[in-house]
Amino acid sequence: MSNLNTTGHSFLCPQGLWTNNNNTIWLGSTITLYRNLDKFVFSDKLTTDKRKQIIALLSPALLTHEQLNEVRILPAEELSPLEKEFLVEHFLSHQSFHQAHSGEAFIIDKSCTFLAVFNLHDHLILQLIDAKEELENSYENLLKIENKINQSANFAFSSKFGFLTSDVTQCGTGLVVNVFLHLPMLRYSNTLNQVLAKNMADGITQTGLQGNPQDIIGDIVAFHNSYTIGTTEENIFTNLRTLATHLVIEENSLRQQMQQSTETASAEIKDRVSRAYAILVHSYKLESVEALQALSLLKLGLDMNWLKGATQADLNKLLFFSRRAHLLCHHGQHIEHDKLPHRRAEFIHQALKGLELLI
Amino acid sequence: MLEKDDANEAMAERPLECGECKRSIAIIYTEIIGDVETNTCMCADCPEVQRRLYGTAAQLHIANQINPVITGANAQLVCGNCSTTLEDVKRGHRLGCAECYVVFEDILPLEMHAVHSLPNQLYPYKKGLPMHIGRTPGEMQTINIFSQILALDEVLKEMLSKENYEQAAILRDQIKNLTKNSSSASKSES
Repeated sequence: MSNLNTTGHSFLCPQGLWTNNNNTIWLGSTITLYRNLDKFVFSDKLTTDKRKQIIALLSPALLTHEQLNEVRILPAEELSPLEKEFLVEHFLSHQSFHQAHSGEAFIIDKSCTFLAVFNLHDHLILQLIDAKEELENSYENLLKIENKINQSANFAFSSKFGFLTSDVTQCGTGLVVNVFLHLPMLRYSNTLNQVLAKNMADGITQTGLQGNPQDIIGDIVAFHNSYTIGTTEENIFTNLRTLATHLVIEENSLRQQMQQSTETASAEIKDRVSRAYAILVHSYKLESVEALQALSLLKLGLDMNWLKGATQADLNKLLFFSRRAHLLCHHGQHIEHDKLPHRRAEFIHQALKGLELLI
Repeated sequence: MLEKDDANEAMAERPLECGECKRSIAIIYTEIIGDVETNTCMCADCPEVQRRLYGTAAQLHIANQINPVITGANAQLVCGNCSTTLEDVKRGHRLGCAECYVVFEDILPLEMHAVHSLPNQLYPYKKGLPMHIGRTPGEMQTINIFSQILALDEVLKEMLSKENYEQAAILRDQIKNLTKNSSSASKSES
């Protein structure tokens, strides 16, 4: 992984999506559409030449789309493994971008909210990140992009199975919506499962931020639609929005109760927050999971006014930039694997310089 | 708990016929749930034993093997366009092309069900039942703002029933904002 200077990472946006995100609980959502062209076999069965043909066929509509600013195409063979990992982290993806090779490509826009992936199992994956709780608007924007492509190429579609995808579990609407919620109080009060049992409609699956879906890192719980067929797009959005609203309200209520509770009742959670503060401010080495877990508690502490000297946006930025690829890209230089935890700790110390614990 | 019956004398008092098909028994299956003990007698190749041991998935597997429409005729099915085989599909591999959806039309709902990606109302799948009920290509779709309001309203009702007026007020403001936005948008359109 040489040549790791920031200028080399042309798509790394210093004023990007996760650097000025003020969200407390609903951190963001991703909306993904899976599409294939009708005259070609799916990407896994295509030769490299044919794959490149698909990119040539589909990319002009995206590169000239009036809704997207300063769009750039990134062929997979020109990206380093680190840059691919950066894309996975930035777009909160569960996809295997790491394995992308010749004949596969990415398109991103200046705001880094839009991503198109070519030939990763399907001919085209379109994704938009929404950080304003405007799922429905973002979906409409994504459809405008999809419709423009559809004017120059026909998508594989059948009246029975809907939009046809290489993975049968994504056919139908070909739409997967993920919402990412930060729910520390629900988790620490052990009420998350109870609230989910009551409010989670059939057709919603719970996962974590990344990696193993069972691992919840940084108290960030993700939800996505389990079915893409036999349901309408409207239903998918309504179900997820209802659940997200429920959880945000429950989390907020618990935070308020905690603020009004007695010293003894809040002692345990205050202890956790202050320990997290100590870890982040004083550690010599920090692993990413540990850092994310502690940052989660700081986010909670800040919302409860137990801390001052930082904003939610500062902590959200740290939450994203403490992860491996972001940290390496941000540093812009080669860092030995075993020195990374120390550099992470230094990076966090620097960022939290003005932070003060009030409890 | 599975015991092979050697037809010894100790078993003489038990039924000598399979509960399902009346053939002579080979297996006695004892199930103990709490304080209740139940014994089921089965013949050697009884589908019931598969169901007891492996749950309903086994039943599905057996149904596939028995049903000639699905297995007998399709056993050698291969997609002519991309060479994806029935075995690939059954193993959960990705499909190779749009044509696969025509070739493996009958088996796909079963495969989707097996990985929990088919809504309950579509299983067991009946031929002719529409599976895709969403958007078609080229269709411009707007998600009705009322579905958003409906979602918020549902939570609002619950908050009111819990007498959580503070959160209810926040929700009510959100609903008001949405209604205001939608009416101003419709005015500007007209």
